[in-house]
Amino acid sequence: MLTYIARRILQGAVVIVLISVGTFVVIRLMPGDPTYLLLGEGEIRISQEQMAALRARWGLDRPHHEQFFIWARNLLRGDFGDSLIRKGIPVRQMIFEAIPVTAILNVTSLAIALLVAIPAGIIAGVRRNSTFDYGTAVGSTLGVALPNFWLALMLIVLFALYVPRWFGDLPLVGRIPPFGLKSWQGYILPVLVLTTEQMAVLTRVMRASTLEVLTQDYVRTAYAKGLPNVIVLVRHAVRNALLPVVTVIGFRIAFILSGTIVVETVFAIPGIGRLFTDSIFRLDYQVVQSLVVVLAVLVVVVNLLTDLTYAIIDPRIRIN
Amino acid sequence: MKQKRTITRRDFLRYSAMSGSAALLVACAPAAPAADGEAAPAAAADEAPAAEMSGPKQGGTMTWVGHQEVAGLSPAFMGPTVHWVMIINIQNPLVTVDEFNEQELVLAKSIDIAADGLTYTFHLHEGVLFHDGSELTAEDVAYTYNYYRNPDNGAPIVGRFTGIGSVEAPDKYTVQVNMDAVNAASLTSWATVPIVHSAYHAEVGEETYSTSPIGTGPYKLKEWRPAEFTELEAFDDHFRGRPNIDVLREDIVPEPSVRMIALQTGEADSAVWPLLVEDSIFLEADPGYVNFRTLANSIKHFPLNNSIPQLAEKEVRQALMYALDRQRIIDELWNGAAQISHSNLTPASPYHHTGLKQYDFNPEEAMALLDGAGWAAGGDGMRAKGDQSLSFTITTITGDQARRPIAELAQLMFADVGVDVQLEEAPVATILQGMREGTMDASLYNWTYGSAVEPDPFSTLHSTGGNNFAQFNNARVDQLIEEGLQVVAYDEREPYYHEIQEIFVEEQPVLNLQFDEWMNVFNARIKGLPEGPKNSSMYQQAYKWWIEE
Amino acid sequence: MTASAPANLNTQLTTATDHRSEWSQAWRRFSANRIALGGLVVIILLALMAIFAPLLSPYDPINEVFRGMRGGSPTPAHPFGYDHLGRDLLSRVIFGTRVALLVGLLATGIAVTLGVVIGAIAGYSGSWIDTLISRVIDTLMAFPIIALLVVLAAVLGPSLVTTIVVIGTTGWARFARVVRADIMSLKATDFVTAARAVGVRDWRIIWRHLLPNVMGPIIVLATLGIGGIIILESALSFLGLGIRPPNPSWGGTLADGRAYILRFPHIAFFPGLMIVITVLAFNFLGDGLRDALDPRERD
Repeated sequence: MLTYIARRILQGAVVIVLISVGTFVVIRLMPGDPTYLLLGEGEIRISQEQMAALRARWGLDRPHHEQFFIWARNLLRGDFGDSLIRKGIPVRQMIFEAIPVTAILNVTSLAIALLVAIPAGIIAGVRRNSTFDYGTAVGSTLGVALPNFWLALMLIVLFALYVPRWFGDLPLVGRIPPFGLKSWQGYILPVLVLTTEQMAVLTRVMRASTLEVLTQDYVRTAYAKGLPNVIVLVRHAVRNALLPVVTVIGFRIAFILSGTIVVETVFAIPGIGRLFTDSIFRLDYQVVQSLVVVLAVLVVVVNLLTDLTYAIIDPRIRIN
Repeated sequence: MKQKRTITRRDFLRYSAMSGSAALLVACAPAAPAADGEAAPAAAADEAPAAEMSGPKQGGTMTWVGHQEVAGLSPAFMGPTVHWVMIINIQNPLVTVDEFNEQELVLAKSIDIAADGLTYTFHLHEGVLFHDGSELTAEDVAYTYNYYRNPDNGAPIVGRFTGIGSVEAPDKYTVQVNMDAVNAASLTSWATVPIVHSAYHAEVGEETYSTSPIGTGPYKLKEWRPAEFTELEAFDDHFRGRPNIDVLREDIVPEPSVRMIALQTGEADSAVWPLLVEDSIFLEADPGYVNFRTLANSIKHFPLNNSIPQLAEKEVRQALMYALDRQRIIDELWNGAAQISHSNLTPASPYHHTGLKQYDFNPEEAMALLDGAGWAAGGDGMRAKGDQSLSFTITTITGDQARRPIAELAQLMFADVGVDVQLEEAPVATILQGMREGTMDASLYNWTYGSAVEPDPFSTLHSTGGNNFAQFNNARVDQLIEEGLQVVAYDEREPYYHEIQEIFVEEQPVLNLQFDEWMNVFNARIKGLPEGPKNSSMYQQAYKWWIEE
Repeated sequence: MTASAPANLNTQLTTATDHRSEWSQAWRRFSANRIALGGLVVIILLALMAIFAPLLSPYDPINEVFRGMRGGSPTPAHPFGYDHLGRDLLSRVIFGTRVALLVGLLATGIAVTLGVVIGAIAGYSGSWIDTLISRVIDTLMAFPIIALLVVLAAVLGPSLVTTIVVIGTTGWARFARVVRADIMSLKATDFVTAARAVGVRDWRIIWRHLLPNVMGPIIVLATLGIGGIIILESALSFLGLGIRPPNPSWGGTLADGRAYILRFPHIAFFPGLMIVITVLAFNFLGDGLRDALDPRERD
């Protein structure tokens, strides 16, 4: 077990190094020079000397491999450097301020999604080809099929603009703001958008794995022994059917960024998705590099935890 | 004149040219009140347009929405609008250009300009306090200018200080700027840079300062989250009197439609960056909103890279002008809220030349010009000369949904005369570099080729200009620009700028489309707004406004 | 893998004729699934729409700009209304089908081909090659794909080809992972050992014996993935990195339409609707195929 974990950690380290190098190379392939953005729009008279001074100040005049090693060395020390664009703010602070925002949104929506998806998936699987099954199939496919920025805008138009106009303030909720996280109501729409997609994916996975488990011999045996349906379901089926769900959750960590880029842009939320696109479009090398590495570490750790969880949920799986 | 504190730029230059500094002191006599700050709110009330029954009220929060993050709050960041509206409320410059295109003295009580244009002497208001309670002195001004003009400090605004030789503080309230070379644009460039608290800035450094500035402005920083919001609170001891509104807040909302919804729901009181034209006009019709339409200084234009073979000939560029139905673009995509540009200077400029060659929509003329220049149409109708096809790429800014439709329509218009245009999107940084270095064909941009106040187009039309997107290299224009900057009197300057405009429309280094009506929408609960402003810089006057529910 | 190994073994030992009946059985199971059939019908209709777009669209989708009709609302002559320049939106949506299907199918094709080849090499060869490929797969799976897409699209410059190539070359990891695992388990079977013993070449073993057995899950994964790719195209357009104008694409029109969502909501609505329908169709088809092809899920 310990050797397994040690090996996985080592492999994870390799993955992280590959990602660091990859990101470093790729972002420098992007056309454009951040110095030009530093100089800004609408400014007048920029001499070559001034450009050179700026480049030297930000270390952009050094050879690429040197820039990489400086960055990597500092990263190992926990120093993520300074943002090129937002001067004076350490990249570490930017990233660690953005992560909780994104994490809260995603964890909340994942929790809600699981609460709905697990029972829905099980019922759909047990009552295969029933109306409920078809209903969840359509519903969950719809959830995957709706482009989330479209859904987000539609929800804003509906709940922030028209609902107050037609019905006034809603009971319990009050007024839903069109953007931002200034009040708890601000979380409602972004969480709803994220939940829709998560729920759809998880319901499908849960249904599929329920179906598979139900055909297994041990479940058939349990039924044959005359155990009541509910007990069989809960004791044998659900427990094993959860495995793929755990895997999918592990996978989805990597997808979180994709989903939140859009949601955070539309709702003007300062999470990692916004930070990432803003930084890319401004060629803020330091931020992009460090952010991707932090995310990669996160994914590697989560994947390791997923596999360990697997072993705990399903004793049949031997770790080797 | 209502704006007693200001003199017009033209008067200003005339005075200074005629009699040195003496007249200026007279002109500026009824300037801002003394340091006790009592008179200011009253003055603001005098200037309030609609005669409200009640006077200004204290209190409340006014929220603005911007489209991009506020990357920093020091003067170095003052370029982009979303930054400037916050920076200018935290820190004050010596002088500024107000929303009526007139020079306004802020920290300066008066200015003496030497007849040769080589010495500027500013007399500061006494008793002006910084947010930490210390008094503004000439040392702060000298420090600010010296810091930001030093190339080693790498400030993006370094280019504004061109021509300055040294900055001195002969006494506590006098600043003397000695020029190495005359720079007629001085009072609109470096003199509008806000002043920082020198001791504090020197102690913490530029980087920390930009996250927690201390200025003399009507508002002090309360909280700043670059990608989310910037919140300012009233500074009780501001030298022009305490502002009426307690809290100014700028929320950053990237999606244009969400900014519109925020205005509609009352979540925001004003959009500092224009909404979609249709949205602004929709709100204009609503009595709950005030929409200011001001003529932009900048031309909406396609900068063309004159150094690539297919765009190097002026006949081609002239043909492209004739191929564009600019009135149609304005009518159909801009709701008529723009004026065709017939020159590099806005009609609001006193230097604007009215007798210029005009390019009215004329595809036949365009084709004749292209035929004449040897660009023959091929089998597919697209033109080529030898191996070189008449094809180029216009790169627009990523996500710029307001302007891109113009490029899309132009693409079709160019195709009609046999010119093949490709469209691409790229981040701003990519375009800035590509156009400045001449590695990109063309773009779609709003940029000034001389403003309503200052006609100098050095940065965009001079062969060494930093924003010479066209890679334009015309010896006569270079000469005119250089000489024009050495002359301060309006009458003497005019010939230079008229000739520049004549060359501009003949050479067409860029395809100038239109001067937009810049739209700034305000919720009608905001009172004290200017009447008939001529540009969108009214946000620096927020200290005069108040909220009436 | 505990459950699937015996099943795979069985299929492996079937002869060519059995293979055919295997497929016809699958088709019988598939055609009994009405939702899946519906998905197939919709996809065929979409394909026809893409092929015959010039005949079907009432107006020229690119050059016919109706004066003064920017954002015009739907009318009987223009049932989808006008786009942000004043062109017929229906015609643009019909032509947009081409881009959607091209991107969906070609990008998936590239991803599947790469995934199968790489996965097969890793699974069959084992040793350090497998370790290396597995780490690359892990890396790709751990890397936020959208991030890679954004950067690559910016590097290469947005275009139809870029979109297809970028989505295709970044999406192969999931296919490779499945193929690798299946091939590893198949490699251990007696018949492969036997084939090797009589000197059958490796590539022939992979091509003739191993790959046919992993195609079922791959087809399912691919069908389910096409919908995701069509949405990815729209997300790229959202970030300004999609198909270049004036070419009509659903993702592009949808992304452009979001600026006009208050004034001209139909511009975003109709392409959005088409994306939803298409993704639904492919997902239903994929689900149907899974039920039909996966022997584990037989009733």
